[in-house]
Amino acid sequence: MASRQYELVYIVSPDATEQQLADLQALIEATVSRFGGSLDNTENWGRRKMAYEIGPHKEGVYVLHQITGAGDLVKELDRRLRVADQVIRHLLVRTDEELRVAERDRLRRREAAARRRAARGLPPEPEVAEPRVEGEAQDQDQAGREA
Amino acid sequence: MANDMERGGGRGRGQKGGDKGQGQRRTMFRRRRVCKFCAEKIDSINYKDVKMLASFIPERGKIQPRRLSGTCATHQRKVQVAIKRARQLALIPYVTD
Repeated sequence: MASRQYELVYIVSPDATEQQLADLQALIEATVSRFGGSLDNTENWGRRKMAYEIGPHKEGVYVLHQITGAGDLVKELDRRLRVADQVIRHLLVRTDEELRVAERDRLRRREAAARRRAARGLPPEPEVAEPRVEGEAQDQDQAGREA
Repeated sequence: MANDMERGGGRGRGQKGGDKGQGQRRTMFRRRRVCKFCAEKIDSINYKDVKMLASFIPERGKIQPRRLSGTCATHQRKVQVAIKRARQLALIPYVTD
C-alpha cells in the first residue's frame, strides 16, 4: 500500500486535563497502528496564545504529529479528530511530496554547482557557499567565467 | 500605451484627487529585486515557521503581493499556501484591525 508522510497539528482546549490529553494521544496512536501506519515524531508545543479566538477560547494546547501511513488512515484520523470534543481545531496535511521536491532541488543545485566548479577547473567538492552580496557582482563573475 | 493603462488603473483605485500621489507611491515601498528564497536557497517553506512568514504579512494581516516583496512566482505560491495553513491553526491572524 502506498505509504505517505503526513503532518498533523491539533489544538486542544486549554481546559482539558492531562488525562484527556493522554487519552487523545492514545486514540491517535491506536488509530494509526490499526491502519498499519507509524507515528514518527510527536512534539508538544504546549499552551500558546492563538492569533484569534476560536469559539470561547483565546489560547490552546498545540500538539504536532508526524505520521506515515495510507490514505484511509488519514481519512479515519480526520473523522475522529472532528468528533473529538476537546479538539478545537486540527490540520492534517501531506508532506512527502514537498519534501521530495525540496530534496530534488537541493540535489540539482549541488550538481549545478559541481558542474560550474568543474568548468572553472576546480575540484567539485569543497563546497563553501559563497554569500551572494550584489546581483551585479554575480553577473561579472559569470561573465568572467565564460570568457 | 502601457503608460495610459497604468494611469487609468491608478485613477480607478485611488480616491478623488489621488492622481498626484502616483509618483510618490513608487518610492513609498522599498523594492526588493531578488526573491528571498532563491537568494538564500531555502527549499521548503513551512507553515510552522511563523517568524519567517511574518515578514510577508504587513500590518493589516494580508498576504504581501509579489510586486512588493519581490518573491518569485514559485516561492510566492509556497508562501501563500503556508500562510493559509498557518491561519487555519490560528498561528497568524486572518485580519488585524
